[in-house]
Amino acid sequence: MPLEVLIALVVCGIAGIAILTHLFGLSSRSVFEDEAAARAAWLREFPQLSPGEVTLATDRHAALVTTRKGPGLVWSFGADTTARLLTGARVSRDARGLVIRLPDYSAPRIRLSLDDDEAARWTTLTGDAA
Amino acid sequence: MSADMSYPDVVSWAVPVFIALILIELVWIVTQRRGGRYETRDALTSLVMGAGNVASGIVLGFVAYGFFMALWAITPLDLGTSVWVVALCFVLDDLRYYWVHRFGHRIRWVWASHVNHHSSQHYNLTTALRQTWTGTFTFMMVVRAPLILLGFHPAMVLFCGGLNLIYQFWIHTEAIGRLPRWFEAVMNTPSHHRVHHGRNPRYLDANYAGVFIVWDRLFGTFVPECDDERVDYGLVRNLGTFNPIRVAFHEWVAIFRDVTQPGLTARQRLMYAVAPPGWSHDGSRETSDMIKARHATGTPNSHAGAGIPGE
Repeated sequence: MPLEVLIALVVCGIAGIAILTHLFGLSSRSVFEDEAAARAAWLREFPQLSPGEVTLATDRHAALVTTRKGPGLVWSFGADTTARLLTGARVSRDARGLVIRLPDYSAPRIRLSLDDDEAARWTTLTGDAA
Repeated sequence: MSADMSYPDVVSWAVPVFIALILIELVWIVTQRRGGRYETRDALTSLVMGAGNVASGIVLGFVAYGFFMALWAITPLDLGTSVWVVALCFVLDDLRYYWVHRFGHRIRWVWASHVNHHSSQHYNLTTALRQTWTGTFTFMMVVRAPLILLGFHPAMVLFCGGLNLIYQFWIHTEAIGRLPRWFEAVMNTPSHHRVHHGRNPRYLDANYAGVFIVWDRLFGTFVPECDDERVDYGLVRNLGTFNPIRVAFHEWVAIFRDVTQPGLTARQRLMYAVAPPGWSHDGSRETSDMIKARHATGTPNSHAGAGIPGE
């Protein structure tokens, strides 16, 4: 197959599938129904590290957990979830809430939508990680 | 000995079929509300990874092909081009695929290339295209050397490899349940390959087959899909980025960081590169064997069936 035809096919194919998937409403992020759901999502990633206290964000896209190894975060990742310990994290405020930067190439930055009070509280809760 | 031989670039010709089947699966899932899941950014990342794989093949393909042609120049054997030779080449190349794939899960250096294929938490036809950009750097082309030295022309070997890749496309789906028993006994199927993509302890490091599942049955790595244990797709530690560059290189970066950390012996540095994924010098991480052993200890009821030690 001529390279220019292959490139056109690939570009149009990728764009078409992405647009169609979005139009079908398949771009929404997962939501934690409650603290138990956040706890389960945490344990899915860290089955040997039981969470203590779980603080669910108001928008229910993220939750802070306490563990014997320090604070951790479980958050919506597309339609699914993922989690990390916040060891070595740098936490900063932005217009939407908080930005957490991790020394982890596979999860370098997490943006959390939090109101002012919530952002202040979460900054305190994550303080031990920095 | 024939130096000039050409076969069609079957993977390129299959691209329109890949796109059509993805669209059919997507519409099927949306309209029938079953048979799998799609998510826009996940699918987009998988497709971009697939395009990058093709691009890396164009840029770096000369390395493997040059190696194969050098072997072809020195081998005294030439099996010719009959249909039976092509068929034999296909079967033997599938055996080659089994071992490369097994190495890809058991040697971290090779896993660094292969890990991105497992990095989606979804399992649909776009996942099939989430392919490596860094396969050349694993040097796994050496596993094909015996085929060339036995007298299979490099072009034929690559043609069979392309057919193998195309076969594996359609098995990346939840839209197909189980197929007739005779087919499941011999061929790799969606059910068998779903197991391979599972992060459940039972399903780790199982079903490495490309086309013929008989290799797993023969070498003791076959695990059936259990009706009472739904496959949880993804990595033991899932990614937190859809960025294709990070998806492609994250394990290489992790190896670099591990190997260059201070205070290790030379052997420990080597082990971080070549030991099974999850190995650590201080026991702070878990390999798949350790995860399986812990699972067997902690959940006695899980012992029914294959995939867990002690069964």
